[in-house]
Amino acid sequence: MTATNGYTVEVSDASVATDRLARVGAVALTGLHGAMVTAEAVVAGGLPQIRIVGLPDATVREAADRIRSACQQSGFSLPGARVVVNLAPASIRKVGAGFDLPIALAVLAAAGHLSARAAADVVAWGEVGLDGDVRASAGTLPVASAARRHDARRLVVGAEAAGEAALVSGLEVVGVHSLRHAVEVVSGTATAVATATPPRPHMADVPDLADVRGQHVARRGIELAAVGGHHVLMVGPPGCGKSMLARRLPGILPPLDHDEALEVAAVRSIVGERVDLDLRPPFRDPHHATSTAGLIGGGSGVARPGEVTRAHRGVLFMDELLETPRATLDALREPLETGRVVLVRSQSRVAYPARVQLVAATNPCPCGHAGTQATPCTCRPDQLARYRGRLSGPLLDRIDLHLALEAVSEDVLVGPADGEPTGQVARRVEGAREFAADRWTRMASGSVGGDRSRPVLNRDVPPGTVRATVDVVAQRRLARAIEAMGGSARAFDRCLRVARTIADLEGRDDVRHADVDEAVAHRLDMGGPP
Amino acid sequence: MWASVAAPGTDPVTLAAVVGRAAADPRGFGAAWTRAQREGLAAPAAVRDLAGTPVIATGAGEACAREWRSRGIRVTLAGDPGMPDRLGAVEAEPPWLAALGPSAPGTADGRGRQPAVAIVGSRKASGYGRGMAAWLAEAAGDAGCRVVSGGAVGIDAAAHEAALGTVGGTTVVLGCGHGVDYPRAHAAAGMLFDRILAADGLVLSESLPSDPPRPWRVRSRNRLIAALADVVVVVEGGERSGALITATWAAEYGIPVLAVPGDARAPGSAAGIRLLRDGAGMCAEPADLLAALPSTATPPRQTGAGTPTRTSPDTAPTAVQGLPADVAEVLVESWPRPVSLTALAAAVDAPIGAVMAAVTSAQVAGVLTRDVDGLRLRRAPTT
Repeated sequence: MTATNGYTVEVSDASVATDRLARVGAVALTGLHGAMVTAEAVVAGGLPQIRIVGLPDATVREAADRIRSACQQSGFSLPGARVVVNLAPASIRKVGAGFDLPIALAVLAAAGHLSARAAADVVAWGEVGLDGDVRASAGTLPVASAARRHDARRLVVGAEAAGEAALVSGLEVVGVHSLRHAVEVVSGTATAVATATPPRPHMADVPDLADVRGQHVARRGIELAAVGGHHVLMVGPPGCGKSMLARRLPGILPPLDHDEALEVAAVRSIVGERVDLDLRPPFRDPHHATSTAGLIGGGSGVARPGEVTRAHRGVLFMDELLETPRATLDALREPLETGRVVLVRSQSRVAYPARVQLVAATNPCPCGHAGTQATPCTCRPDQLARYRGRLSGPLLDRIDLHLALEAVSEDVLVGPADGEPTGQVARRVEGAREFAADRWTRMASGSVGGDRSRPVLNRDVPPGTVRATVDVVAQRRLARAIEAMGGSARAFDRCLRVARTIADLEGRDDVRHADVDEAVAHRLDMGGPP
Repeated sequence: MWASVAAPGTDPVTLAAVVGRAAADPRGFGAAWTRAQREGLAAPAAVRDLAGTPVIATGAGEACAREWRSRGIRVTLAGDPGMPDRLGAVEAEPPWLAALGPSAPGTADGRGRQPAVAIVGSRKASGYGRGMAAWLAEAAGDAGCRVVSGGAVGIDAAAHEAALGTVGGTTVVLGCGHGVDYPRAHAAAGMLFDRILAADGLVLSESLPSDPPRPWRVRSRNRLIAALADVVVVVEGGERSGALITATWAAEYGIPVLAVPGDARAPGSAAGIRLLRDGAGMCAEPADLLAALPSTATPPRQTGAGTPTRTSPDTAPTAVQGLPADVAEVLVESWPRPVSLTALAAAVDAPIGAVMAAVTSAQVAGVLTRDVDGLRLRRAPTT
C-alpha cells in the first residue's frame, strides 16, 4: 500500500483504466443540497502544470496554484508533466475552496504518492494552504450530509471542521491538519486516527424577559406570538423597547429539536460561520438598508443565502419596517408563505429553507412621537395618513398580531423589574404549543400545512381548520366586533387565529367570547379614528 | 325641473343664473357680490342684481343644479326664507347655501330658535383635545344645542362624533363643494358624514358642487361657522390655526369666544393661549360653555343631565355600562384625558387578557374609544 516513490501504482483495480488515473470523492453544493462529484486526476503528456476541468468556478481553478505549492512544501514531488484533473459530472458547477483537498489527494494519487484504491474510498473537503496546511472550508456540514446520503464511508476534512462534519451520524469523519497528514490517513499509515466527535448540543444565552419593564400589553402579545408562531408588528415610539422585546422572543420559544438545529447549523456552515449544535432558535436583525439580495439571498452563479434563510427556524426582526423599500418587503412574501426561498439564476436553481417568525417594528408616525406624553407629535395629518397607508399591503396581511408599545415612564424605568422571567414564560409557551399541536394532529393528521413531521403551529393552520374549532357564537361575536370597529373582512381570520392561540394558552379547546374580544384588542388597525 | 332643487321660495331661474355666473367667472362674481353687500343692498336685491346682468353660462348653472338635485341637496338663495337668519343678521350671508340633510338649516323648530355652539380646533389634535371636544359637544348636544364645526379630522371630527345622537344634533360646514370627497376619511360611504346625515344632521356648503378645498375657501367658510353659532369654543390649535380665524369672525359678529386651556408648552395650545390673553372666556367644562350662551338662546332644557359637575371628585363614580368596575374607575378618574392600555392594565388587578377583552367589548358597545393616545370613555361620566 505504501506508495511513496514516484510511479509504483497498483494496476489490479479494473476501474482504473490507466496506471495514472486516480479518483477521490467530493461534493458539489447547490445551496444546502450536495451532489456527489469525483475528482479524477491523470498524468498526461505536456508541460508540468495542474489543469482543472469540469466546470470549476474561479476559486476551484485557483486550487491548482495552492496545491502545487502545498505539495512542494509537504515534500511531495509532482510529475514533470501535465496533470489533468476532471471534476465529474462536468454539468454541475463546482464552487468553493473545499475542492482543494479532494483535488490535491487525486493529484497525489495520480503521482503515485498514494494508493489509488485507498483514495477511491474517500470523500474529502477542505481548503489547502500554500504551506500544506488543511483548513476548514465553508459548507462542511451539508457536504457531510450529502456524503452520508450517498453512502460514503469516510470523510476527510480539515481538523477544525471535523466536529462539524461529525454532526452527521453514520459517517467516519477524520480531521487532518496537513496534506501529509491526509495522505497518511488515507493510506492507513498514520497512527491513532481518531474519528471526530460532534459538539454537544447547547443553548446560547439570551437576554431575559424580566429586564423589560412595564409594557404589559406587549408582553402579553409576544407570549401569544411565541405560542402561535404568529408574525408580529410592533408599533411604538423610539426607545420604548421594541428591539429589546424582539430579542427576548427566541428565549421564550421552545428549543429546536436535533433535526431543526442541524438545519440551522447547515445554513451557518454554508455562510462559513462557526458551527455547533445550538438549540436556541436563531435571531437575525438585518438593518433596514439591507438590499433585497441581502435579505432573501442572491448573487450570480449559485445564489447565496440571505438573512431570511439565516433566520430559518428562528426570528427575523425587521426594525424600522417602513424605512425598508417596498420591493424588498414584497420579496419577503414568498418565504413567509412557503417557508423557503427559491433563487433561480442562469446556471442554477437554489432552494434555501426560510421558515421564520417575522417580527416587524415601526414608529407610530414619521416623527415617532404620536401618542407620547412628553414629546408632542409634529407630523401633519397628511404625512400621518401617508405613513399609515404604507402600513398595509400584502406583507402586512400575513401579520396576525399587532403590539402597541408605549414610551416607558421614568417611574417604571427606575422601579423594580416587574415582569416574569423568561424561564417561566417559556414553560407556559411550550405547554400551550403542545396543547395546540395535539389538537391539530388529532383533527387531521397530515392534512394541515407546515412540515408534517413537526408540530403544527397555529400560524400555519388553514383558516377553515381554525374556524372548525371555534363555535358559531364566538365567530359571530368576532364578525360583529370587527364591523363595529371598522376593521376589514381580512382581519377576521387573523383575529380568529389569535383567539385560538389565546384559548390554547389557557389550555382550552373552546374559544370563548373573551378570547375573541382580546384578539381584536391586539389589532391596531381597528378601533377609533387614527 | 328646478323646483326640486331649490328650497321653497327660491326662484329656480334666478338660481341657475346666479350659479351659472359664479361657475363661469368666480372672481368677478365674488367681487360683485362683495360690492353689492358693501353698498348695503338687501340680499334679495343683490342676488337679483347678479342674476340680472347678462347670463354668461346658464349651462354651467344647470349642470350644478343637476348635481345638487341628484344628491338630494337643497339650495337656498340669499334673502329667501330658507336661508338661516343668523347669516343675514351678521352679514355673512353667501349668495346661496347648499344643504344636505333632513332639516332646514338654522330655522326655528317650533320652540323658538335653536341655540348652537361652534366647537373648532386643529386637525392635528391630541387625545386630550379630542376628549375635551367630545365632552363639550356631547354636553351641549344633550342640552339641546346644535354643534357646528368644519367636518375636518381632529377636533372637528371629535365634536361632530360626540354630538351624533344627542338632542341638539350637529351641522358640518364644508370648505369645499358637496361633490368633493374631502376629507376622504369622513366623506367616504358609511363614514362620519353619512352617519351625521343618518342622525338628522346637516352638511352645508356655500361652494359649487365640484369646488375643491382651497385654503382661502376653507378660511372663508369659517365665517359661516362663527355666524351659525351663539358661542364659539376653540379647543386646540396652533399658532396659525384656522380656529383663530373662526374666533376673529365671531368677535366681529359679537359672538362670545371661549378657549379650552391646554398644556402651556404644547404647540397645539398656542391658539387657546392667545385667545385667553386677548380676553376670550375660559372653557374648562361644559358648564362654562352653556353659561356663555346668550339669554336669547338659552337651551330648552338646561338640566343637570348634560352638565356633569366635576368639582367633587371624591364622590364615587357610578359603574360605566359594560365595563368592569375597576376598569371603569380608572377611565372615569382620568376623564377626559386618555389612558394608555398599558397604564390601565397596570392600574387594575386583573389579567391583561381580561382587560383587553373588556376594552373590546366596551368599544363594540360604543362606550369606549381607542386611538394612538389611548383609551377614553366616549361620554362624560356622570357622578
